[in-house]
Amino acid sequence: MNAILLFAFTQTKRFFRDPIALFFTFAFPLIFLFVFGGIFGGNDNIKFEVAIYNNSDTAFAKKFVSDLTSGDTFEQVTDAGTIESAKEKMGRGELDTVLVLPQNFGNPNKQSLPSGQLEVYYDEAKPQTGQTVASVLSSVLAGINNDLTKTAPPFSVKQVATTNSGLSNFDYTFSGLLGFSMLSLAIFGLASRIPADKNNGSLRRIRATPFRPSQLIVGTMLYYGFIGALAVLLMIILGVTIFNFDMRGSWLQFALFSVPSFIMLLGFGLLVGGASKNENQSAVLTQIVALPMMFLSGVFFPRFLMPDWLQAITAYIPLSPVIDGIRMITTEAKTVVDLGPELGLIALWIVLVYLLTIKLFRWE
Amino acid sequence: MAQLPIIAVKNLTKRYGSTTTVKGISFEVKKGEIFGILGPNGAGKTTTLEMIEALRPIDGGTVLLDGIDVAKKPQRIREIIGIQLQSSNFYDKVTLKEQLKMFGSFYGESVDPMELLESVQLAEKSKSFPEKLSGGQKQRFSIACALVNKPKVLFLDEPTTGLDPQARRNLWELIQTINADGITVVLTSHYMEEAQLLCDRLAIMDQGEIIALDSPKAMIKQLLKRGFTKKEQVEQADLEDVYIDLTGKALRE
Repeated sequence: MNAILLFAFTQTKRFFRDPIALFFTFAFPLIFLFVFGGIFGGNDNIKFEVAIYNNSDTAFAKKFVSDLTSGDTFEQVTDAGTIESAKEKMGRGELDTVLVLPQNFGNPNKQSLPSGQLEVYYDEAKPQTGQTVASVLSSVLAGINNDLTKTAPPFSVKQVATTNSGLSNFDYTFSGLLGFSMLSLAIFGLASRIPADKNNGSLRRIRATPFRPSQLIVGTMLYYGFIGALAVLLMIILGVTIFNFDMRGSWLQFALFSVPSFIMLLGFGLLVGGASKNENQSAVLTQIVALPMMFLSGVFFPRFLMPDWLQAITAYIPLSPVIDGIRMITTEAKTVVDLGPELGLIALWIVLVYLLTIKLFRWE
Repeated sequence: MAQLPIIAVKNLTKRYGSTTTVKGISFEVKKGEIFGILGPNGAGKTTTLEMIEALRPIDGGTVLLDGIDVAKKPQRIREIIGIQLQSSNFYDKVTLKEQLKMFGSFYGESVDPMELLESVQLAEKSKSFPEKLSGGQKQRFSIACALVNKPKVLFLDEPTTGLDPQARRNLWELIQTINADGITVVLTSHYMEEAQLLCDRLAIMDQGEIIALDSPKAMIKQLLKRGFTKKEQVEQADLEDVYIDLTGKALRE
């Protein structure tokens, strides 16, 4: 026991003396956090970038444009150039829609009320955008019509937002980010460190002593578990302070759930690193093990968007219960008692992966 | 009363596919001696050593070390021997002191790292990392590390290869000091001068077989008996004597 602890302690010191290892362990997940935090953070409101061509010089048309762009829904793009170049930009996705007010827009009609027809251009490939913009504008115009004709419509629609939890996109994404950084800490870090020690002969030297592979595996798990916990903690602190992460559950429940999760993921790193002869082998094995977890476990998009049959299969991928569990704790305030199925699956993977690790470990 | 040999090797064999690299060799090492294994590259020296050290599976024959069967109880063997490997290394960014403590714990011993480092003249390097050591210092540290468990047998695989004459002489003295403390030493070497000076007895290996086994003196005597004469008159001094006379015996590192 003393040997395992002293080994873990010595390895931890060694780790903190290695600037490259420190960078990849602590800065990498943070870069990831900032990139995805930037994408999913921000404003959740729908906003359309619009180029407006007002060919009318009526006061009504001018007021209409300024009212439209002073709201939150439309953001006017003024550097779009000609209508043709604006349509081109729309084709590339730089603009959402193009509005044209014809020359006679706002001119009085037979009842001497302002009238006219708006032209809305949208990309054929994005019919939803076109429909949404058209319906938003229709309701704006309907309001104006009602004011002008002084009539109240007998029927109307009242919009009520259904996501009353008040959680932002980032709050949902963060659980995926935490799961992903645990995965990358465990697999990308460990799987290359162990073969590097084989290559330079330092494991060869330890092999000549009574220190057993099982002791080496447990010692490595301990020190890397400690380092990983620090990295995740740092990520959480930044998520809460910079991205206003809204934690619904308890941090204690999160910690209780994370420990077995991380032990399981470390097992995969130990398995790949321990079984590989050299760094080339471990690089290939790392991809084989990590890629399915990265793309099929709900890191980048939730699993419930997958077809049913794929959901059924991907539920058993080791990282899936981890991300599902974290998401349920952080967004639904679930506790480890509620997460029995997830923890059971994680326990099963722990047994399996550590048995394989002990069996397939090689000193050189 | 004849003392039991500390190492008894009988018909030791190693095969790789269809080639046999060690062909059923037998020899004994006496307690307290310095035993050398010489031979050209590829003769099977390192393979033989690694089988005795329980680092490589034994394909045929037996090895008894201090009466323990190496193939059956490799873990017991590791506890009573010290090994300096040819192609091993130490963790980078871990000081010599920390390394010795860690290696001590592998044997369940709490060692005094400074005492060990002093015995190999590395006390002032206790806070250095192994990657900052010179060749000679590295070898001396490697020996210090092999001594953490106070072994009965110390194995040294080509301990002086690549060292300058001063460092080599320094290491010879160290090996003799360790041996004087009662530790049996088994070493391999390419240097005849080293073998002649250090070893009580020698085995010369070629192509997986032992072709001679005796003390250096006896081997030379037998050669002369067969009518061997050197072509030139033996000189009173050679170039190494000149070199050491000019540069001194003091260690440079």
